[in-house]
Amino acid sequence: MASPLLVARDVTVLRDGKRVVDGASVALERGAMLTIQGGSGSGKSTLLRAMATLIPITSGEIVFEGREVHAVGIGEYRRRVAYVPQSPRMFDGTVADNLRAGPRFRGESLTDAGVVALVERVGLGAELATRIANELSGGERLRVALARALANEPRVLLVDEPTSALDPASSIVILDLLLELGRSGTAVLTVTHSEEHAARLGGERRHMTAGVLAASGTS
Amino acid sequence: MSYVEIPLWRLSIAALLVVVAIVLSRAKQLDLEKDLGLGAIRAAVQLLAIGYALHLLIATAHPVAVLAVLAVMWIVAAWTSTRRLKTGPGTRVLFPYAFAAIGLGAFVALVPVFLLVIPPRPWFEARYVIPIGGMMLSSAMNVVAQVFERLFASARTEEATLEQYLALGASPQQALAPYIKAALRSALIPTINGLVTVGLVALPGMMTGQILAGTAPEQAVRYQVVIMYQLVAVAAVAGVAAASFARRLLFTADAQLRSHKE
Repeated sequence: MASPLLVARDVTVLRDGKRVVDGASVALERGAMLTIQGGSGSGKSTLLRAMATLIPITSGEIVFEGREVHAVGIGEYRRRVAYVPQSPRMFDGTVADNLRAGPRFRGESLTDAGVVALVERVGLGAELATRIANELSGGERLRVALARALANEPRVLLVDEPTSALDPASSIVILDLLLELGRSGTAVLTVTHSEEHAARLGGERRHMTAGVLAASGTS
Repeated sequence: MSYVEIPLWRLSIAALLVVVAIVLSRAKQLDLEKDLGLGAIRAAVQLLAIGYALHLLIATAHPVAVLAVLAVMWIVAAWTSTRRLKTGPGTRVLFPYAFAAIGLGAFVALVPVFLLVIPPRPWFEARYVIPIGGMMLSSAMNVVAQVFERLFASARTEEATLEQYLALGASPQQALAPYIKAALRSALIPTINGLVTVGLVALPGMMTGQILAGTAPEQAVRYQVVIMYQLVAVAAVAGVAAASFARRLLFTADAQLRSHKE
């Protein structure tokens, strides 16, 4: 078996003395589709943020392509392991400006054709590229946030409650987009409280309760 | 040279001006009455004290005494610049950084000038070193306070945006850059406004004072030009230093934002 793309091993996050995440382990292969379900306060979003290296972990380790996070380099790791938060914020400027942010941070520039390709990849019309990002609807913003993450050509996508603020029709579009990304080889880890949406994503489903992530194959 | 003397009873009439501000503060519920009242009393007492201290310093002419006064000014400036911040790590954490930023700004503005432009003889001559040093420390204090205030407030209100910059692989420098730029620009605007309006709107106190005291106007003007240029340097250096310190306080070594909400 090939070694997994991303491994979180015994990750614990303590906050104010409380184990918000308690020894969670996750392994993602290329193209994996994993969904973590749990109620609010179960620690699933915190685990996702820890795997995105946005908050410190108290113990455990995160290994990407066989190397520990610090060996990969924090910036490089975050490009390879993209994180899309619940209700993402749009940056000032147009949709194209938003998509160019990631490449700009690593000293590259995204071409106009690259912008259009990304916009279309997330199912939006090319004309949207020149719109002011903050004027978009919730569903459009989420798609722009996904496209913004994809501009870094990530191997793994960590997505937090992608459908929580969307109407049913927009939710289906986003879920199908995640499925499509999975088929193209990106590993997708989605956190959701919705049984229905988890079912649509298929793949492996795991439950999290009071900071404890149930073992694989127990859902 | 004759001048209009101010007896105490006339000074007390001037104090009514502060009362005007206090009445307006009360009417508009700004909740600044106490600050205004105490500030007015402190200003009078402190100026009285430094007036006598300067008199004494000039009379005794001892370098340690001059340096001690400068040190007190420096400490007070650093402390004051961190005191009124609504967000951020608090005075105890910020004080050493404010002290360093103010010191750096003042050093850059003062040392070359006292060495090359206005060399006092002896080097610690109080009537040059104290007032000019005080002006620089005070300007640095205001710039540092503004930069800290803006950056720590932005980090709080823009926490989600900053975190998304980081998630896209931005370094803390890159993530904070637009906020640092905005903070520095707004902190430098008063100094730039001062440069472009001096002589048109504001007649600087030191120049006016020198002319009143009988210095040739041309020389008094030269002093003032030097001071204006020093103020520009002090604002830029102290501002940039404060921004760089704020950045270090806002992010961990792993490029994570320090304050976190769930």
